[in-house]
Amino acid sequence: MTAGERKSLLMGVAFISPWILGFLAFNLYPLLASVWYSLCDYSVLSQPVFLGTQNYVDLWRDPVFWKALQNTVVFAAVAIPLSTFLSIGLAVLLNQPIAGQGIYRTIFFLPSLVPAISLAILWQWMLNGPMGLVNNLIRPILDFLNLWLHTQLKTPDWLNDPNFALWGLILTGLWGTGQAVVIYLAGLQDVPAELYEAAELDGTSAWQRFIHITLPMLSPVIFFNVLMSIIGALQTFAVPYILTNGGDGPGRSLLFLATYIYQNAFDYWNMGYASALALCLFLLIIGLSLITVRYGERKVHYSGK
Amino acid sequence: MKKNFNSTLSIIALLGLGFLFLLPFFWMVSTSLKPLNETMKLPPQWLPSSPQWHNYPDAMKAMGPFWLYTRNSLVLAFLNVVGTVFSSALVAYGFSRLDWRGRDGVFFVLLATMMIPFPVVMVPIYGLFRALGWIGTFQPLWVPAFLAGAFNVFLLRQFFLTIPRDLSEAARIDGCSELRIFWQIILPLAKPALLTVALFQFMATWNDFLGPLIFLARENQYTLALGLQALQGTISGTPWHHLMAASTLVLLPVLVLFFLTQRTFIRGIATTGLK
Amino acid sequence: MAKVLIENLYKIYPGEKGRPEKVAVDNANFEIQDREFMVLVGPSGCGKTTTLRMIAGLEEITRGAIYIDGKKINEIPPKDRDIAMVFQNYALYPHMSVFRNMAFGLELRGVPKDEIRHRVDSAAKTLGLLEPDNLLARKPKALSGGQRQRVALGRAIVRNPKAFLFDEPLSNLDAKMRVETRTEISKLHRKLNSTMIYVTHDQTEAMTMADRIVVMRYGKVQQIAAPLELYHQPANLFVAGFIGSPPMNFFTGTLSASRQGTLAFIEKVPAGQTPFRCALSAETSRRLSSRQDRELILGLRPEHLQPNSLTSGVTLEATVEVVEPMGAETFVYLRTGGHTCICRTTQIEFMDLEGKKLNLGPDLSRAVFFDPQTEAAIPV
Repeated sequence: MTAGERKSLLMGVAFISPWILGFLAFNLYPLLASVWYSLCDYSVLSQPVFLGTQNYVDLWRDPVFWKALQNTVVFAAVAIPLSTFLSIGLAVLLNQPIAGQGIYRTIFFLPSLVPAISLAILWQWMLNGPMGLVNNLIRPILDFLNLWLHTQLKTPDWLNDPNFALWGLILTGLWGTGQAVVIYLAGLQDVPAELYEAAELDGTSAWQRFIHITLPMLSPVIFFNVLMSIIGALQTFAVPYILTNGGDGPGRSLLFLATYIYQNAFDYWNMGYASALALCLFLLIIGLSLITVRYGERKVHYSGK
Repeated sequence: MKKNFNSTLSIIALLGLGFLFLLPFFWMVSTSLKPLNETMKLPPQWLPSSPQWHNYPDAMKAMGPFWLYTRNSLVLAFLNVVGTVFSSALVAYGFSRLDWRGRDGVFFVLLATMMIPFPVVMVPIYGLFRALGWIGTFQPLWVPAFLAGAFNVFLLRQFFLTIPRDLSEAARIDGCSELRIFWQIILPLAKPALLTVALFQFMATWNDFLGPLIFLARENQYTLALGLQALQGTISGTPWHHLMAASTLVLLPVLVLFFLTQRTFIRGIATTGLK
Repeated sequence: MAKVLIENLYKIYPGEKGRPEKVAVDNANFEIQDREFMVLVGPSGCGKTTTLRMIAGLEEITRGAIYIDGKKINEIPPKDRDIAMVFQNYALYPHMSVFRNMAFGLELRGVPKDEIRHRVDSAAKTLGLLEPDNLLARKPKALSGGQRQRVALGRAIVRNPKAFLFDEPLSNLDAKMRVETRTEISKLHRKLNSTMIYVTHDQTEAMTMADRIVVMRYGKVQQIAAPLELYHQPANLFVAGFIGSPPMNFFTGTLSASRQGTLAFIEKVPAGQTPFRCALSAETSRRLSSRQDRELILGLRPEHLQPNSLTSGVTLEATVEVVEPMGAETFVYLRTGGHTCICRTTQIEFMDLEGKKLNLGPDLSRAVFFDPQTEAAIPV
């Protein structure tokens, strides 16, 4: 290394030093410490005591862990495709030459601004069994169906019914999907108009243009968004926590890995077990992200830059 | 003909969906202005028979020291915004305007840290702050902001890369040190991006729930989010009109900020997805 | 005012990811005299800009040394080299007014306020930034390309540096502005009487502005000479082809003895084509005698190839392909012996000659000969 190179290396490191400190303190150290704590009995109040793999054995046998894992994966698997379809659909609608595009965009974006605490309390009210607005909108439809099909459909008591609580959360999430709409809309507006014009001259239908032009051109944006959504969905905590008044829902139907980590760490002061859970969550995120990247690389079309 | 039909359909769909998206806001405000008995009516009453504006001061009173919570939230938001903007800009400068060996490799590590969410690392971080004696103080909620956030660094780096290299070189010949180029050339030119980062950080801090939940102990340190959660938890019988009024109050500053900076905001969001 | 000495200068970029290292500047040696206008010219990637940037201190020197006024500056940071640079894209600070753009460097050097005001005003006056409109308060965005260019010049002038460095400063201007600014910079050089080092890929700029020109290619210096010397006595095939527009015509052939005892040049052509042949003067023959029966390249400028010339006995028969009337003169592209050659003439109108045969007379006294192996010019 020449003197000049050494000088510029020092300069570079000096500029990024805040991040290096942050990386060491809030990324690297916690990950390594988690590995150590997960092998210990540790309550924060006393020194960790080495246990070996006991926490992992417990975890394997813990039905609550499996429930949390299941909820987390099911939530991600349902919520991400739904919100992706919804936000792409909204973006495509918004991309039409329609008066008031900006107003609609603002309307769809606004819910994503709502702080988790307000969002969860609002939806607790929206999803209220007898008095919630959601049920009061659904009820006439169900009444109509019951009358004509002689069924006995009843409005669900969303957050108090183990079969519906997760769906209530998904509905809440769909309302807050606006950020993705803005991103997709920007992606759509980046697609050169000539492409559509050329395709139209070739005699394609609107649907064909969507499949063969819009989706491929949008695929890098979709890929990036889906990746971010996965990372976001797997760490879901605040909204279900507040929706359940600080609990985990009927029959633990709103218990997620992050919730369970929180409970073990700060309700039971079982930091060792919480660390084992945290590492599981981390592996899950890494694993699913890698799969997405692998799969995405094959499917995503990057137009040359 | 067909074109007209399609755009009519789009307008109908947008109107319908727009209505559905606005409905919860409407319901929140409407409920917050109703007398208690009208919140319980079946079928629901769309508008309060007469708006009960006193629900708002009542809700603030029910939350306890509302203005103290607001002050706490604002102080934290301010410290986080200042810390994040400066530290992230500094780091982004190092990753974009300086050439040094290993830079791109280190930047990849930075990107990878975005895959480590807070719940994964919160236990040891809690232990760390405990060892520092910071639990029950504000420090855990603002000191880390001064150590740059990966996402903001990424955002600013992308912006810094678009500033011509010539400018730095001209400044170097004019006699600027690296720090002065950062301060007098790059930062003034990056104002829109810095504003975007500031806005995002304000929102993130204002909306943060898990951090204050873990690190704060005493009630007089609560942020608005925690104060509102306490209101939700402590009052038996859940007076919905108060909860809705309080939720609206917590949301209000965010909405005002959004409408004041709408263009920067939307542009910022739009660019985050399009590297 | 300063003398700049470039000594055994190398710039080597390390090879990344298995690629070989790249030698951007390969043992450059030259000296720029005090008050000289030196132009570095060559195709893109020839190392001219890298050399300039090493003089400025924006690029690290791999090997060798640069001296300004006898002082080695390898390790001296740009700000302490007392040079000013005008960039291709002007590099004006977009957030500063024209005044601040020019004053910034002086402020950083702690020049007193009045002095700054005075220097900026006088530079602005020289460059016409005060009349007809006073532009000092404007932001660069509100200026035209030509005005920005002048502000960039002004920023350099106020510094009153030992040397001015220019990195393709005209390439972003339209053709008309380019010619105007070219003369303006030349005038400025005369007025300021300072050392200027100017990089361009445009040989016309080089020819019109330079006291001397350094021609570079693949990181190597090809020739250092005054413009006309470069034009008439190019050191090698590359310089001959690069300098001059339209470029020099080249004919590959052999020298054989003629009956008169002199040498004759006979072009090598595919079978069936008529070669270009010409007898050389006794003087030239004597000098090239060692090259008899060997291959060599004959170079002729387009203006030394005149149609229907009666001045010399030899003629070259060619078919007219394209005629480009420029007004004062005409470029005629012709096909002969299997390749194209160009003739530049003021003689006649050729508009209706396309497809017709034409006899060309070369002025052999102006011909340049090159060795096909080394590509170097053979001294005549």
